[in-house]
Amino acid sequence: MSHHFLEVQDLSYTYPDGTEALKGLSFRLEHGEAVGVVGANGAGKSTLLLALAGLVDPSGGIVNVGGTILGKKTVGEVRKRMGFLFQDPDDQLFMPTVFEDVAFGPANQGLSPEEVSNRVRQALEDVGAIGLAERQSHRLSGGQKRSVAIATVLSMLPDILVMDEPSSGLDPKGRRRLIGLLARFTHTRLVATHDLDLVMEVCPRTIVLHEGCLAADGPTRKIFGDQKLLETCHLERPLCMQGECR
Amino acid sequence: MNPSTGRQSGIDPRALWIVTFAFILTVTSFGKYEISRLTPLFLYPVAMTAFYGLPLKELGKRILLVLPFILLVGLFNPVFDRRAVLEAGGFSLSGGWVSFISIVLRSLLAVSSAILLVLVSPFDRLCLGLEKMRVPRVLVTQLQFLHRYLLLLKGEAQRMIRAHHLRCPVNRPKIPMEVASSMIGSLLLRAVDRATRIHWAMLVRGFDGEIRLQRPLSFSWARDGSFAAAWGLFFLLSRFVDLPGILSGWVLAR
Repeated sequence: MSHHFLEVQDLSYTYPDGTEALKGLSFRLEHGEAVGVVGANGAGKSTLLLALAGLVDPSGGIVNVGGTILGKKTVGEVRKRMGFLFQDPDDQLFMPTVFEDVAFGPANQGLSPEEVSNRVRQALEDVGAIGLAERQSHRLSGGQKRSVAIATVLSMLPDILVMDEPSSGLDPKGRRRLIGLLARFTHTRLVATHDLDLVMEVCPRTIVLHEGCLAADGPTRKIFGDQKLLETCHLERPLCMQGECR
Repeated sequence: MNPSTGRQSGIDPRALWIVTFAFILTVTSFGKYEISRLTPLFLYPVAMTAFYGLPLKELGKRILLVLPFILLVGLFNPVFDRRAVLEAGGFSLSGGWVSFISIVLRSLLAVSSAILLVLVSPFDRLCLGLEKMRVPRVLVTQLQFLHRYLLLLKGEAQRMIRAHHLRCPVNRPKIPMEVASSMIGSLLLRAVDRATRIHWAMLVRGFDGEIRLQRPLSFSWARDGSFAAAWGLFFLLSRFVDLPGILSGWVLAR
């Protein structure tokens, strides 16, 4: 199976104010691969993810999702395959109740009400939020919102999972559950985060962005072992590696 | 139950819409000098408020918001219509004042019924009710977006005001005009930004212009039909029978 690959060629994006957020990025994720995207604030992580989902129009380059080139005519097709988790869960939750929010995606996929209901229950159970189903989305705590936001993505059973800061706001148990979920998810995963320990546990490969450029792309342990690279990119070793000699 | 708005109605939103429209139609159909015959209609907001345990303070606050506009509508009536239409015990009241009072009463009734409608049923279910009543989907979706945008605007405004107050040395500081004007500007920009991100979140989850709710509506003739019929009958009675007149005649006769 190779239809869940994700390829980016020479991708560039400039904001309307002239800020160059992405400068000719190129990489490829194979089917089932889990890749972490790390970098300092403003390195271009979120912009990269937005460009992959066709939410911002790149000023140059190609995004190929499982053989479909992302464009105006194909953006719907690409979004059907890609589950996208936003950085701020308040952006992701917009329906009156948690149930309706998690059901929003599956309902748009044209599933029957029974199937939608099953998907919602499964996704909420996966993130440990089944007890929140009848709650109002905007009245949840930050961590609960994050869990429900993850469920809104999982309920769509995406082929490719793209997540922006998935562990922010989660308590240790929620974070551990997320790590388990990401480890069990067999399809392609791209996780942009500052949680380097999560990357260590979930992603065998890491991409480092620095000022919109691809600073490094390789095995996670090797990347996080490169002290000079980490310093240049305003990063530091994950906590789990800080005891190791430098 | 929502503690801030009271008990939510189990009545089908279609029945609620029909009753509200019928109420507003009845209220607005009275003549411009009518006051006493409007009074029985106050039973509707009072009964709904009591039955659903709605907080009067919340209702009052919302009515206060629109009160200036209501007063503005009838403000010039006493100036232009000085003909005496009511005389009792040497005291006369001009047509302008009577029509002004009538406008205020009718507006209060109409506004309170609209507020009650929103308080007793979730807005999305009300929109679904409209859709089931064959109101064009484009219009219903616009209503839903408008509702969300207003909530969003409110949330952003609260955050900005909190941030302002936390950086002020006095308790509950007043926001100076020049600061307020720049805050309003950035509030609109922030709200637009957030609205854009929410729209993106909808798009990536397959939004195609229709919001599909998962809890289907079920119209029960026994519950919803009788609710609409009972109130409809009362409105008709209030409109075509002088209930206050009959009541006062009955009281005087005794």
